[in-house]
Amino acid sequence: MTATIEKTGSLERIIATLNHTQPDRIPIDFGGTPTTGMHVSCVAALRDYYGLEKRPVRVHEPFQMLGLLDEDLIEAMRLDVVGVFARNTMFGFPADEWKPWRLNGLDVQVARDFNTSMDSDGGTLIYPEGDTTVAPSGRMPSGGHFFDCIVRQDPIDEERLNPEDNLEEYGLISQADLDHIVRATHAAALTGRGVIATFGGTAFGDIALVPGPSLKHPRGIRDVAEWYVSTRSRQDYIHKVFERQCETAILNLEKIHAAIGNSIQAAFICGTDFGTQTSAFCSVKTFNDLYFPYYKQVNDWVHKHTQWKTFKHSCGAIFKFLPSLVEAGFDILNPVQCSAAGMDPRQLKSEFGDRLVFWGGGVDTQRVLPFGTPAEVREQVLQRCEIFSSNGGFVFNTVHNVQAATPVENIVAMLDAIHEFNGTS
Amino acid sequence: MALSKELFDAILNGDAKRAHAATETALAEGAEPMQLIADSMVPAMDEVGKLFEAEEYFVPELLLAGRAMKSAMELIKPLLVASGQKMAVRVIIGTVKGDLHDIGKNIVASMLEGSGFEVIDLGADVSPEAFVAAVKERQPHIVCMSALLTVTMPAMKTTIDALSKAGVRTQVKVLLGGAPVTSQYAKEIGADGYSENANGAVGLVKSLLAVA
Repeated sequence: MTATIEKTGSLERIIATLNHTQPDRIPIDFGGTPTTGMHVSCVAALRDYYGLEKRPVRVHEPFQMLGLLDEDLIEAMRLDVVGVFARNTMFGFPADEWKPWRLNGLDVQVARDFNTSMDSDGGTLIYPEGDTTVAPSGRMPSGGHFFDCIVRQDPIDEERLNPEDNLEEYGLISQADLDHIVRATHAAALTGRGVIATFGGTAFGDIALVPGPSLKHPRGIRDVAEWYVSTRSRQDYIHKVFERQCETAILNLEKIHAAIGNSIQAAFICGTDFGTQTSAFCSVKTFNDLYFPYYKQVNDWVHKHTQWKTFKHSCGAIFKFLPSLVEAGFDILNPVQCSAAGMDPRQLKSEFGDRLVFWGGGVDTQRVLPFGTPAEVREQVLQRCEIFSSNGGFVFNTVHNVQAATPVENIVAMLDAIHEFNGTS
Repeated sequence: MALSKELFDAILNGDAKRAHAATETALAEGAEPMQLIADSMVPAMDEVGKLFEAEEYFVPELLLAGRAMKSAMELIKPLLVASGQKMAVRVIIGTVKGDLHDIGKNIVASMLEGSGFEVIDLGADVSPEAFVAAVKERQPHIVCMSALLTVTMPAMKTTIDALSKAGVRTQVKVLLGGAPVTSQYAKEIGADGYSENANGAVGLVKSLLAVA
């Protein structure tokens, strides 16, 4: 009975929060999006801590090796949000038909087409669409915790550069993909929790996607440094890519909305990072010229046709971009990296708290959570909850995913502190 | 007169083709390679660093300037080798074991090279053993380590410990950089310095070695 009441309250809690009204308590998300999750090893450690059934955790997002939080763990952690994800992973294969795998001695489960091999340095190679007959698109160093993209960049001939080559992965949604989203949304909505969906296709220039990890033979500009350079030296090319991508994205959103209606409360739009630890990847002017028009089109479409709120992820020192992000129509900011320059939580809340929902920022994942004491974790969590929670507009999450090797005692200290603040200890 | 305004401008504007052509012209006109570095390249990269600090330049501009500088160095390096001239300071740089991120490290390497230092880039995912071997073989003055990931930061300590164990730690100054790294962390693990950006790294090397 208690669980039912908790779950019934979650949806209302999220809706109140996203509408900047005070909920009964701060809603909590872990695992709802690709940037608010937990490394599979942390999910396994939490299952052990809570004494849940012993079984290998599923890696539902193989790029960052994020673990799937099953219903029993969601209940134990008292989470308020569930995620809907696109059918295919970053490496272009579906997250289904599970099989066993071992990660640094930990038994996990991976999707059927999660096919790997070892390189001469002991690194693990992974293949686009699981096709081991083509070149691998990701590599995990020996002893590493997740994959990075392997850059597959043909020599660039300026005369032959064609924006279409950078659009291969941004096509119209297939019926199989749409059916998956409908099924996943339906299942998520039945939980009674808030639902956030990551459909894909609306990220403009997300550097994690630029190398085309899902593609067997990526063409166009696929080298990470080359792409950054191109945002300065080939802006016409980038505009053409974004224009076409935006047109397709809106067509896809139309189809998705027609199929699922307002069963979700928020949509993850874009994960492009504009901030570094101490600076930015571009000027505000470049942001406004190169990215803003496309964000605005997507957000305007969503707001005109749906009740969804739009979610923007950007790491780093992005305070100066916030007026533009608000004007572009974003409702939610993540991961709220308070450890970056100029990202003071009090100033963020006082200047933008009435216009942006802070989904993240709950505790630092660069120092405090992985390396601090449980007491330091508790102190920061209570402080951040105090700062961010007034008048709603705060979904508790760490600053980005909980990283591998984070002590489980600290994760538990974090969760206990949230429940302490919420008065639900 | 080895100042090439054309080379200076080409680097500042990140124009690799123009930097290459300007270097060819300057060398054809009799410029001394070392003077070309000192009078045109170093001031250009210094100005790039200042523009980055002023938030007029960002990562793309640093990458472009680095490429322009490299295109000039391609012509200059063989001449230095042939004449037996050596840079005064040698730096070894790499991203630590387990970490494949190298854009920040590459920018630091470019800025250091453009500031007149010899830079030996070991790449990414560099093991402590590889750092030790490179120090023994190349006898650098400075070792720079980079880590982007929280989970790979501990490899910086492992590497410093390996340098100590191999008896070469005191031969070099060890500098750290990377998003999650702090000056406090650098002190804790026994490094000699930390910089939060590439321009700062250049200043740090100069101050540690008392280079003008």
